[in-house]
Amino acid sequence: MRLHYLELILFSTYAELRAERARSYLGVLWWIIEPAMNMAVYYLVFAIVLKTSQPDYIPFLLIGLTLWQWFKSCVSHGGYAIWQSLPLVRQVKVPVQVFPSVQVLADTVKFVFILALLLLILWGYGYAPNWAYLALVPVLLVELVFAAAIAYLFAAALPFLPDLRFVIEQVLQVTMFMSGVVFALDVVPVAWRGVFMLNPIAVLIDAGRGILMHGLWPNWSALGVVALISLALYAFASGLIAHLTPRYVKLPA
Amino acid sequence: MTAPVIAMENVGIAFNAQVRIGAPRFWALEDVSLTLNRGERLGVIGRNGAGKSTLLRTLAGIIEPDRGRITRAPVTCQLLSLAVGFMLHLSGRDNAVLSGLLLGLRRREIEKRLPAIHEFSELGDFFEQPISTYSTGMLARLGFSVAMQVEPEVLLIDEVLSVGDADFAKKSGAALRARIHGGTTVVFVSHSDAQIREVCDRALWIEHGRSVMQGDVDDVLRAYHARAPQTAAA
Repeated sequence: MRLHYLELILFSTYAELRAERARSYLGVLWWIIEPAMNMAVYYLVFAIVLKTSQPDYIPFLLIGLTLWQWFKSCVSHGGYAIWQSLPLVRQVKVPVQVFPSVQVLADTVKFVFILALLLLILWGYGYAPNWAYLALVPVLLVELVFAAAIAYLFAAALPFLPDLRFVIEQVLQVTMFMSGVVFALDVVPVAWRGVFMLNPIAVLIDAGRGILMHGLWPNWSALGVVALISLALYAFASGLIAHLTPRYVKLPA
Repeated sequence: MTAPVIAMENVGIAFNAQVRIGAPRFWALEDVSLTLNRGERLGVIGRNGAGKSTLLRTLAGIIEPDRGRITRAPVTCQLLSLAVGFMLHLSGRDNAVLSGLLLGLRRREIEKRLPAIHEFSELGDFFEQPISTYSTGMLARLGFSVAMQVEPEVLLIDEVLSVGDADFAKKSGAALRARIHGGTTVVFVSHSDAQIREVCDRALWIEHGRSVMQGDVDDVLRAYHARAPQTAAA
């Protein structure tokens, strides 16, 4: 039974990516071009127009945006997934957790391409590979679990509160500025800094920058706390979806 | 006599009328009881909105009852659903796999059945093309061919006995009738007396979400029409 759902998730992810590729003229190239354009916009605004004077600002910004966009797309796509699959949920008996999982996986596949591009750029800038790269594995795994957990939470609630659609983007926007994606958290007043570092994404991005730019191992205790929070949220969100499952099919079309 | 495959006792199903705080619920099924025995072919009759489709989805396990009880033997039970989960930009082959997975087949089971799906659907080279290029008839053929590969122990059918243009309708109708009369347990919803008589050996009449009568096909049809003489026999 379990294996069957795994097969369903994997094939649906393949189908999702394949369909997305077929929907545009440039296909897979968009997986790279779209985030690259997004990065270019931030670069233009913060590095050129606002003349952010921080040293190493370009790698700093690119790493932050790469890790952030992965999280953001998981949450915004995954968050809609159950709501958009309601017609299917009415037709067949299928565990609804499949739908947000497929979106998170599809966005993770795309993230791998962007990560590869990021590494090439960093190496080009002279930030050489180092042993701390090993720590990318736990950092990225924790981010995946955290992103999936938040995606599940929105996915669980959205069918009952379609109004959340108007909220998700705003919440993500605010979270981005609170995660130190475009500016270093050092510029945040000391009194606020503690609050900002409670944000799991801020911790993960910070760890990513340490590894990729300075060859620093992450702060394991901070990462451990984030991992625990992520796992707890993941378990809670999965349980919530399972608990609500009988009710999705009874929502009006 | 052996235990029934599925038994429903005073089952009620409520839907949310709207997505809004405090929105009222309405009862699509109020009080339905039925027993389904192995190998039996049960016909469900009733007017539009009587709750026939809701009943089928409840039997399929898609909807859980809000009151009453449903007990089922460990059997696979599937609604005959066409084109489930089809994605426009995928090929016929990929859609067959996707749909099969959604209908509960394992990946290797579908892979094994792909040649049969390809052949039955008569799609030829189009099988490898995106279904966005298909005509309505081709889509119906693919949908039916995939659905027929799922072989549940209890088959639930909502009206549809055949699909597609004249030729394929004959072929699909024959295939489905062969399945129905091949010993599968069947629940069949229809507005047509003729189809109910042809397919079923027992009938259930539901009215406003309540089971009114269950028994011999002719007895139930006679009682149904006696209550509502204006209902034309198809």
